[in-house]
Amino acid sequence: MSSTTGALPEAWPGGSPAGRTVTPSPSPVRRAGRDRLVADLVSGVVAASLTVVVVLWFAGGGLTDLTIATGPALTSLGRLTGLVSADLLLLQVLAIARVPVVERALGQDQLARWHRVLGFTSFSLLLGHVVLVTVGYAATTRTGVLAQLWDLVWTYPGMLLATAGTAALVMVVATSVRAARRRLRYESWHLLHLYAYLGVGLALPHQLWTGSDFVASPAARAYWWTLYLATLGAVVAFRVALPAYRNLRHRLVVRAVVDEAPGVVSLHVGGRDLARMGARPGQYFVWRFLDGPGWSRGNPYSLSAPVRRDLLRVTVKDLGDGSRRLADVRPGTRVLVEGPYGALTADRRTRPRVTLIGAGIGITPLRAIAEDLDLPPGDVTLVHRAGDDSDLVLRAETEELARVRGIRLMHLVGPRAAGATPSWLPAHLAHLGDAEALRRIAPDIARQDVFVCGPDCWMAALEQALAAAGVPRSQVHIEHFSW
Amino acid sequence: MRRIVTALAGTVTALVMLFGYHTSTAGSGTTAAVPSAPLTTGNSGSGSSGSSSSSTSGASGGGTQTYTGDTVQTQWGPVQVQIAVTGGEITDVTTLQHPSGNPRDEEINAYALPVLRESALSAQSADFDLVSGATVTSQGYVGSLQSALDQANL
Repeated sequence: MSSTTGALPEAWPGGSPAGRTVTPSPSPVRRAGRDRLVADLVSGVVAASLTVVVVLWFAGGGLTDLTIATGPALTSLGRLTGLVSADLLLLQVLAIARVPVVERALGQDQLARWHRVLGFTSFSLLLGHVVLVTVGYAATTRTGVLAQLWDLVWTYPGMLLATAGTAALVMVVATSVRAARRRLRYESWHLLHLYAYLGVGLALPHQLWTGSDFVASPAARAYWWTLYLATLGAVVAFRVALPAYRNLRHRLVVRAVVDEAPGVVSLHVGGRDLARMGARPGQYFVWRFLDGPGWSRGNPYSLSAPVRRDLLRVTVKDLGDGSRRLADVRPGTRVLVEGPYGALTADRRTRPRVTLIGAGIGITPLRAIAEDLDLPPGDVTLVHRAGDDSDLVLRAETEELARVRGIRLMHLVGPRAAGATPSWLPAHLAHLGDAEALRRIAPDIARQDVFVCGPDCWMAALEQALAAAGVPRSQVHIEHFSW
Repeated sequence: MRRIVTALAGTVTALVMLFGYHTSTAGSGTTAAVPSAPLTTGNSGSGSSGSSSSSTSGASGGGTQTYTGDTVQTQWGPVQVQIAVTGGEITDVTTLQHPSGNPRDEEINAYALPVLRESALSAQSADFDLVSGATVTSQGYVGSLQSALDQANL
């Protein structure tokens, strides 16, 4: 295991920054325009699909059924909630399918948040659907609710499958509420979450065979099949096929493991044709190192330098679980990746000047972005917040960048201020006030782009400070890593 | 890894068992009753109405004539009724075909068909209220009944 200091020219080949590999990208203005277009298209697709299911319900006599009697009215509402719930269920699977165009424009963390919202909404509607249909049927045929439920589950087409699917979804939702997430390791939670695919699939037969809006209309059935197949196709293509293809094509292998600081290692990963991966500084991959049992757990790590001469680099701090064992990975170990993902890239810039603020290991994507930004001396400010000096990861490199590129580098070192309101500043500077400190760092910060990366609660405090300092939301670029 | 394999095996087993259950592979469909063997569903529900006439199809004994209405296709399946007319009055209505094959249809028909029969006998025409919650079946019933009445010139 080699152990060298992280000075830029020695540990990271390529010599001067001029020798770096640059993945061509559209100008910031075109990027922002394209993002907006994608966001609008996504909203359009969501709205259209919801409209279609409501029209289906309406065309199936849903509205008139509401006026007949209690039983049919409840059943009709049950049909509506079932349709909307199923539609949202498919949409949330699409949200997490990592469709490249969408992921690039909206960012994986934002998509993951929507996935969560859509998921819980869909589940609530699912519960409503079950209750409304059961009570509605029971009222129409004048039987008891429990007897009706039993009847539904055991005698109606596809309903036993749907019941099993509902049980799977109940388990998935129960393990995804925050209280449960805190108790579960990410890997265990993720494996349990995969049962959601089963839940979605097992619901399909009963929709087609018992759902009155589909039984009566071949067109509706065709539409529904198309929706399901498209969703399945997206998942298979972008979560299985594309990563498999990328790994086979680029054949990533660990070339070197470098100690950067106590508890911090850099892994240099080599492969073929890496420029074709299109990985931009600031992006991340989900990494699986084939170093023995437990290899199947993937972890997201950002690239800590621009892609260069067929080498990728990640710098990882020992934070438990997967990160600790990386120090023992041997050169020659094969690596599997998913990605590149991430919306935190230099081309998000909208202003002539940029400030990058990172805490601890969060400096890694920012250090990569800093090198990617091609701006005049003095236009880029890099702020590194750390608990103490040893937490200033990649210090030698950031100081080198400061020297060579004229980047204004600031270290804010020290423990957090103890107090009711969390501050992003170290204790000895807290008296300045969160927002004022930002203005001291860069007087024109409200007219700059600010890139942020660090622990979640620190980022939350910093976001508030940025808002207080007058930085518009559109100029703040943040990526969250804990979903 | 061992736990993953166990969970996978358990899931596959559960799925195989689920798909082996009969409702998990049948689609919805309808079966038409054979016309010469009229179903007693329509009669069994109305035991107290004193209608003890057994539903005989085909013809004429004494003054009773039977008339078979057209088969009306509804979105749930075909509906066909047969009326027995004695002395210018409808004395019985039997359902020859009704949507089935779907337990939901069976449930609806179990309560709707007797009601429709009663309505037809008391109204002595096809002019009566549809059964709520069984609109489609009712409409088919009325349609087929009307065509039978037309044949009987009633």
